Amino acid sequence: MGEGSPAGAVSLVKSRFLTTGRGIAGDPALLVTVAVLWALLALFVLFPLVELIQRAFVDEGHVTLAPLAAVLSDENHRSSFFNSLFLAASVGVLGTALGFLFALTSVRGGLGRHWLTCLDAAALLPLVSPPFTTSISIIFSFGPKGFISHDLLGFTNVSPYGYWSTALAETLTYFPIAYLTLRPILAAIDPNLEEMASSLGGSRWRIFRTVTLPLAVPGFANAFLLLFAASLADFATPLILAGNSFPVLPTQAYLQITGMFDFKGGAVLSLVLLVPAAAVFLLQRYWVGRRVYVTVTGKVGQRSRSRALAPWVAWLLTAGCFLVAALIVYFYALLLWASLVRAFGANNSFTLNHYRVIFTEGLPAIRDTLIIAAIGMPLGGLYGVLVGYLIARRRFPGQRAMELVAMINYALPGTIVGIGYLIAFNDPPVALTGGVLIIIACYIFRYSPTGIRATVALLQQIDRSIEEASSSLGAGSGETFRRVTLPLIAPAFFAGLGVVFIRSMTAISATIFLVSISWTLITVRILENMTELALGPAAAFSVFVIVVVFVVVAILSAVLARLRAPAAGAAARSFLGG
Amino acid sequence: MANGIRLDRVSKRFDHTVKGEVYAVRDVSLGVGQGELVTLLGPSGCGKSTTLRMIAGFETPDEGTISIDGQDVTHVLPNRRGIGFMFQNYALFPHLSVFDNVAYALRVERRDEKTVRTLVEEMLAAVGLSGYGRQHPHQLSGGEQQRVALARAVVFQPKVLLFDEPLSNLDAKLRLEMREQIRELQKRVGITAVYVTHDQEEAMAISDRIAVMERGVIVQSGTAQDLYYRPATEFVARFIGRTNLLAGRVLSPSDVEVLGARVTLATGRPAGSAVRLVIRPEMIGIAPAASSIPIGRVEQRTFLGEKTDYQVSLGGERLQVAATDHYRQPPIDVGQSVAVHFHPEGIHILD
Repeated sequence: MGEGSPAGAVSLVKSRFLTTGRGIAGDPALLVTVAVLWALLALFVLFPLVELIQRAFVDEGHVTLAPLAAVLSDENHRSSFFNSLFLAASVGVLGTALGFLFALTSVRGGLGRHWLTCLDAAALLPLVSPPFTTSISIIFSFGPKGFISHDLLGFTNVSPYGYWSTALAETLTYFPIAYLTLRPILAAIDPNLEEMASSLGGSRWRIFRTVTLPLAVPGFANAFLLLFAASLADFATPLILAGNSFPVLPTQAYLQITGMFDFKGGAVLSLVLLVPAAAVFLLQRYWVGRRVYVTVTGKVGQRSRSRALAPWVAWLLTAGCFLVAALIVYFYALLLWASLVRAFGANNSFTLNHYRVIFTEGLPAIRDTLIIAAIGMPLGGLYGVLVGYLIARRRFPGQRAMELVAMINYALPGTIVGIGYLIAFNDPPVALTGGVLIIIACYIFRYSPTGIRATVALLQQIDRSIEEASSSLGAGSGETFRRVTLPLIAPAFFAGLGVVFIRSMTAISATIFLVSISWTLITVRILENMTELALGPAAAFSVFVIVVVFVVVAILSAVLARLRAPAAGAAARSFLGG
Repeated sequence: MANGIRLDRVSKRFDHTVKGEVYAVRDVSLGVGQGELVTLLGPSGCGKSTTLRMIAGFETPDEGTISIDGQDVTHVLPNRRGIGFMFQNYALFPHLSVFDNVAYALRVERRDEKTVRTLVEEMLAAVGLSGYGRQHPHQLSGGEQQRVALARAVVFQPKVLLFDEPLSNLDAKLRLEMREQIRELQKRVGITAVYVTHDQEEAMAISDRIAVMERGVIVQSGTAQDLYYRPATEFVARFIGRTNLLAGRVLSPSDVEVLGARVTLATGRPAGSAVRLVIRPEMIGIAPAASSIPIGRVEQRTFLGEKTDYQVSLGGERLQVAATDHYRQPPIDVGQSVAVHFHPEGIHILD
């Protein structure tokens, strides 16, 4: 799942407007809000990170690299580092290729609108699903009793674990990010450019090679980096599929802590992960992301049908896309099937028993998850809108810093955030571990940045004079925010709500460190079921999560459609970008 | 002056990425009397909008003080100043109906809903929008949106009404209509108002007084007549109306030489000194008389209905001449020699 992936070029925006002269000192509401937000950011973003680094590199008051040396001297840890990089690079290449296939087919394949919708739906399905769905389906398909490996092909002794299955699962899970990144770029390439090249006598292949591809290069780099980061941070897939033969950093750090209770080792391992993650993030943000230019003119739909693809090529591409889409749909159908039969692969008789199990034994997890999502959703939505508003509309000291700090937990791999929280909040002064607050806080500060971005983007389209008008009519800054700004940024608010809710239902990488006897999560229960080989309940849980997420997304989309405020569509799209 | 607006040596600086710190407004002092409408007129970037925004409180002056009705408001928040502001882009609340837009200030004041209803209905009727209450701004035309904005700015009886180029998004005909409506309402309510525009005709039509701004400074303020007939600087002369700016030399206490001709004009300056003269096009007469002095030549003729414009070359200059009595005489053809006559009372000497 796309947790922690900086999907979509993150645009932190410096307001283009001249600053209003009124300082923070003259506005008590602003002063209090900024102070409270800083306190929260300090507690839930900076403090855990500092604690994590301290735990890793400070020993009895001395800074030491000994723990790092110890970790690096371990053969297993070293190989997990290189495995992580290798896996991330593979997923980056494969996912970008697949994303390009879909983008090209979508933009140039000449498909009808309904076919495109089908293709989109299949491609975007993985983005709103819990993290294990593809992994579970791969085990169902390629395991010892797998549907494909055993039933269809007759193999008896295959293992679904290791590099290949992990890479396959991650590619299928994350390629939609590449698709969403590349599609607007391909769509923005002016067909006139290609038509001109064609009028100069270039062959189709030549035009594609010399015009279309070079124009898409920054997009490729961007997609690759986004996928690389997503794979690097992915925890759920390798935990299930990688197995002992292919250790990667996030799982290794997890095992270090849960298996050996070695907090220091886990901290160091997670920070080793930080190095490539930060490098890729910075590269994507400040180098590649800025070179990707898509001009949005709003004149979609009137461009001429490009002739840059030969008919047989278009057919081939379309066939490839539908093959992949069919595979995805097959995986989800398999999941549903597995949730409805007694014992997958052994006893295929119909039963609702697994659902009975999850709604009885599994009920605490469902209840806890829904409570956490329901509390986190409004708070996260409000937080996102508030920070976005402050960034886009107000001027106060430390504004840039707040902008950056608010993004940290979003950009960091979940493993780092989770271990940081675990270490920071385990002991006084702020002992929160085991409670529900820590899980909610983790989700809010990790997934609200999508809402922040949506708010900033929306506010840039709303002229500042609207707020000035309210002010001139006697409303103070708080009242203006409530009466004017808030209704206008409602779409961003709902988009932020949606993302926090979806992630609260589907995330695991950070919160697996934070669950306790009193508060647990569906995703954690799925993992437990998987390790206990209780595949039926795992499948049933997954189906339940997918259904809930789809229902909530549908409701929020309906709400968004009713809000006639400008740019509601853009905010709706950011559901998927998060 | 107890009531009205008073700006005292107000300055505002901005940080410019290239030029460094630049003055948007410099040392501006201005008084607007109770019920008076004063226009800030000037080209874009002259500081007129910044001045207005400082009166509104959207910007804070770096130096100087601003007071409204005798109360120093320099550091008072906009919402506590009692101002009605009309924006260039109307800035209506897109999520509120026309009624709710107009009612906004009253609801902020927590007036009871019955009063709100009465006042808003009255106001909508006053701007000719009765029955539009339930519509949303995007369903209205530009002129209608403008009237909603006007109603919204006036309904809560602010002490001061401020206009920031409110008509520049409207077409020419509507602009004329709207400015009459604004002026009428302002006079009827008797509210103190400051109006910003770059359109000199609009300024002359709507204002009691005009303050012309150039590069952050008020270069001249006065009635439209003052500015037109007695501009203080070349800039004002050129900005307001069309003008002929001519160099002259004082010959005697009562004579000036202009374009090689002797014109009777009392300058009060010593003989031999150079002067610059402003002569409006309609203050020059031409006639097809071959013998008169000075002799010019018609280079271009444009018939504009209420007048005929001529361009006449004379002594190396090209004069703008407007014949408003053209219905009495046959038009003068291009290429014809003409006698040029300057009406002495229409000549203004620049300092």
